[in-house]
Amino acid sequence: MFNEFTKGIFKENPIFIILLGLCPTLAVSTQVVNALGMGAGVIFVLLGSEIFVSLLKDFIPERIRIPAFIVIIASFVTIVDLVMQAYAPSLSKSLGVFVQLIVVNCIILGRAEAFASKRKLGESLLDALGMGVGFTLGLLLISAIREILGAGTITLFAVGSFDGVIRIPGLVSQPARVLALAPGALLVIGFLKALFNWLEMRKQSREAWAAEAAPAPSEGGAS
Amino acid sequence: MKDVVIIGLKLFAICAVAALTLGGINAITEPVIIQRRAMELQQALDELTPDAQTGEAVEVPDNQVIVKRYPVSKEGQNVGMLLELAGSGYGGEMKILVRYDQDGTIRAVKLMDNSETPGLGKKAENPVYMEKFVNTGNSENPVPVRKDMLPPEQADSITGATITYLGVSKALAEGARYAAAGGD
Repeated sequence: MFNEFTKGIFKENPIFIILLGLCPTLAVSTQVVNALGMGAGVIFVLLGSEIFVSLLKDFIPERIRIPAFIVIIASFVTIVDLVMQAYAPSLSKSLGVFVQLIVVNCIILGRAEAFASKRKLGESLLDALGMGVGFTLGLLLISAIREILGAGTITLFAVGSFDGVIRIPGLVSQPARVLALAPGALLVIGFLKALFNWLEMRKQSREAWAAEAAPAPSEGGAS
Repeated sequence: MKDVVIIGLKLFAICAVAALTLGGINAITEPVIIQRRAMELQQALDELTPDAQTGEAVEVPDNQVIVKRYPVSKEGQNVGMLLELAGSGYGGEMKILVRYDQDGTIRAVKLMDNSETPGLGKKAENPVYMEKFVNTGNSENPVPVRKDMLPPEQADSITGATITYLGVSKALAEGARYAAAGGD
C-alpha cells in the first residue's frame, strides 16, 4: 500500500521517469519560490481530482469520463487560481498563466484516467500525494540548479525583514545566465534525465552481475 | 435514447455541482481580490507621483491603447497626466501606468497586471527595466521603440523578450503623443 506513495517519488517520478507535465516544468523552474508554489498547486489539484474521480468512478458513465474528469480538474484549478489571487498575490503574479494551465497538465488527467478511475479511494489518495510530491521535488531540483547557477540566488518567501532572497557570494555577480533562460531549462532537464538513466542502468547491470554470479559459482570467473 | 438522457443528466449534475462550488469560492475571494487591486493601484499611483497629486480617473473612449487618464497637479497647477495604457505583450494585454509631463516626457513607468512569461517578459515588472524609457517621449528624445535605439548595455536587458519590449514601448510612444497633445 505504501508503495503507491513512494513510486511517484522515485520509480515513476512524473518529471524524470514518465516525463509528464514538462511544459510547466520548463516554464516555472526559474526560481525556487515558483517551484514551491506550482508544486503546492499541483498537489492540491491532484489530490482533489483523484479523490473525486475515485469516488465518482461508478457514477460517471464510461463514454463521458473524459469531459467529466476535465470538469472536476478545471474546478479545482479555478479554486487554486482564485485563492492564490486573493491570498498569495505575488505568487499568483510570478506564476502567471501557468496556474490556469494546470488544467492541461498531463500528470493530472493522466493519473485520473490511468489510476484513480480504476482504484479505491485510499490508493488514489496515496497515488496523488506521491505523484504531487514527486513532481514538486523534481521541480525543486531543477529550479534550484537553474536559480543557483543562473542567477546566483535562492528565492524563498519573504518573512519580516528577510526579503526572501539568499544571495550566493561569488555567483551572484557573474552567474551563468543561460541556465535561467529557456535553453537552460532544457539543458538541465536533459542532464538530469541522463543522470537518472545512468543510475538506473548501473543498478540493473549490478543486479544482472549478482544474478549471474550467484547461482553458478562452479563456472568460476563468470563475470 | 434512454442512455443518452441518463448520460446527459449525469454530466449536467457534475457540471452543476462544480459551478455551484466555484460560485461559492468566488463569492468569498472576489471582495478580497477587488480590495487588493484597489490598494495596489493606489500604491502604484503614489509611487509614480511622489511629488504631486493625482486626480480622479477619466475613461478615454475610442482609443485602442489609452484606457484611462488621471490629471496630475502640483499646488493647483496642471503638470501633466498619468495614463493607464493597454500594451499588447507576448501573453496578451499588459496594463501599464505611466506619468507624463505636459510635453510628453516620461517621468515614471510601472507595469501592472500582465501574463508575460515568468523569467523572460515578466522581468519588465522590475523597476530597473523601465529606466530606459524615463526622460524620453519629447521631441529631442523619442521613445525607443526599436532595439537599435537603445545603448548596448540596455539592449541586453530585453533579450529573449522582444515582444514584451515592443508592446511596452509602442504603448508608451502612443501615450507620449497623446500627452503632448494635451489629451487629444
